[in-house]
Amino acid sequence: MTEQNLRIARLWDTGNARVTRRAVLRSTAFFALAATGACGVGSAPSTTSAPPASKVKATNARAEPRLNFYNWTDYIADDTLSGFTEASGVEVTYDNFSTNDEMEAKIASGAAGYDLVVPSDNFLRRFLRSGLLSPLDHDLLPNLGNLERRFTEADYDPGNQYSVPWAWGTTGLAYSASQLGEVTGFSAYDLAAAQGRATILDEARDGLAVGLLMLGHDPNTTDEGQLAEAVTALLELKKKLGQITSDVIEPLTSGQVPLAQAYSGDAFQARDTNPDVAYAIPTEGGLSYVDLLCVPKDAPHAENAHRFIDYVLEPEVGAALANAIRYGSPNEAAKPFIEPELLDDPLVYPSAEQLAKLPFTKDLGADVEARYADAWTRVKTG
Amino acid sequence: MARPRWLVATGLLAPTGLWLGLFFLAPLALVVQFSFATRDTGVARAVLPWTTQAYATAMDPAFLPIFGRTLAYACATTALCLLLGFPLAWFIARHGGRYRTALLAAVLVPFWSSYLARIYAWKALLDGEGLVNTLLGHVGLDREGGFLLTHGAVVLGLTYGFLPFMVLPLYVACERFDHRLVEASHDLGHGRASTFLRVVLPGVAPGVLAGSLLVLVPSAGDFVTPRLLGGVDQSTFGSVIDDQFRGGNNWPLGSAMAVLLLVLVALVLVLRGKRGEDVL
Repeated sequence: MTEQNLRIARLWDTGNARVTRRAVLRSTAFFALAATGACGVGSAPSTTSAPPASKVKATNARAEPRLNFYNWTDYIADDTLSGFTEASGVEVTYDNFSTNDEMEAKIASGAAGYDLVVPSDNFLRRFLRSGLLSPLDHDLLPNLGNLERRFTEADYDPGNQYSVPWAWGTTGLAYSASQLGEVTGFSAYDLAAAQGRATILDEARDGLAVGLLMLGHDPNTTDEGQLAEAVTALLELKKKLGQITSDVIEPLTSGQVPLAQAYSGDAFQARDTNPDVAYAIPTEGGLSYVDLLCVPKDAPHAENAHRFIDYVLEPEVGAALANAIRYGSPNEAAKPFIEPELLDDPLVYPSAEQLAKLPFTKDLGADVEARYADAWTRVKTG
Repeated sequence: MARPRWLVATGLLAPTGLWLGLFFLAPLALVVQFSFATRDTGVARAVLPWTTQAYATAMDPAFLPIFGRTLAYACATTALCLLLGFPLAWFIARHGGRYRTALLAAVLVPFWSSYLARIYAWKALLDGEGLVNTLLGHVGLDREGGFLLTHGAVVLGLTYGFLPFMVLPLYVACERFDHRLVEASHDLGHGRASTFLRVVLPGVAPGVLAGSLLVLVPSAGDFVTPRLLGGVDQSTFGSVIDDQFRGGNNWPLGSAMAVLLLVLVALVLVLRGKRGEDVL
């Protein structure tokens, strides 16, 4: 509702500005809303008007030492919040979500009052397209230089204009070692013990990446022909699959699913309960994903949010976080403080050679993303 | 002092009207509105300008197999429910005696727990190492990998879920059915089969029709059962609609498909004719 109200409010704000095509659309949207009395469809907001990051000044709309932080469940170290409160005097209200969809529903409604949220990179793209985030004030983030270069140049947000990485992982294959032996690549879907029971993720970009990688194509391809080939390959693969699902932790743990395309975080969670679960980065390659600290546009304590981001970027704090959640840390300066056994785990910190085959999912623009979504519908219904 | 009729009517209908308007008509209007919008890959999901693109996509012949499968599931479910439900309803109505209420309540007991929880229970039962496969294994009828992720599993789940919708209207019809007609039929020389076909069946037809509609319509739109009990080849119209919304893939397409399904169901209800109206 608030987002709608904002849009309608902007309609009046334009005053005597030229009547642009967008403004006409917007007023059509307004009358459509008024006519139906419902708040369903509006025009897409423009996202190109954001000022460059260096010009942004983050301030607290409400001058109080508070921070409303909205993060994934079980995704923080015990002393991260208390340490920040001690260092800055800012009290943190900490809320949790368990899916990106759940978090999006709150942020998109605009009235949630959160200062800091942690979407995954695919949802960051969605948020940016709808202009829901405020650019970061780099003057308040002197520790930004601690980040590994891979995360400052990443396609999802080059130059960290809107986001600072919290933790990252990979998309690969989780499997039952006792049922399948050792798995190295997508050929595992041909194994007799996996027939009719294996799964791939129910996400357009992740699922199609399996088809693209099996054929040796770039999972970020914009080539329609390659995408069509991937659809054909996946329709063939479907004959060997049990399900297309993103809920893999429970069936992996119980052994019901012997092989699943999975996020490394989920795979490790299954492994914690059942040591038989193993995880592999396919030789054909995979994808990287990252969860990102962002400041929503209407954040009441934006400055405090920046202070928290900068605090987490401190080497010791970042290392304590990484040691606790067992995910990859994007913080280069924190590495000396991270447990050596964790640093040496090639599944958490893959070699440079492997990393080259683990790109982030690139934002391919609305048109190509829509094409991926349609291709995925063809895979699922074909 | 007599109140004007219109005032009484308004007073009586206002709560229901308000409820239906807010929670049924308004969401429905939104769905129709979404179905004519353009897809957005941001958080808005559906934006201007208006277009009929979603309907063009929904009519794509590629969706025909899904449509056929949905129809097959719904018809198989209805037939199975009828087969299981009729003897049960007949027995409760004719021979239930003083246990009638208790027996009817027993039919409804599963409704006391969440459908989702019960489908998860079926998941465990139908799994390769589950109870069903193990028991069938003793008589050599087991299946490699269990019965999960098959067409049979989906129809079983749907039948299990919607059986009470069949039993209740059938029970009403059986209860109303005058049993002396059966005796008369026997007296006039009809055999069991002939009596059933010519006397009993026409007598309970409204119940059969009502029950069939109550099972057919929701089972055609269900998406939870095929998603949880079915595998890659068990997706239905409902689960495709669900996909369009969940992954945020395409709200306009999902809405257009929902509207089309609604139109089809409305057609079925119109075509049910006069006899069905007695019960439903």
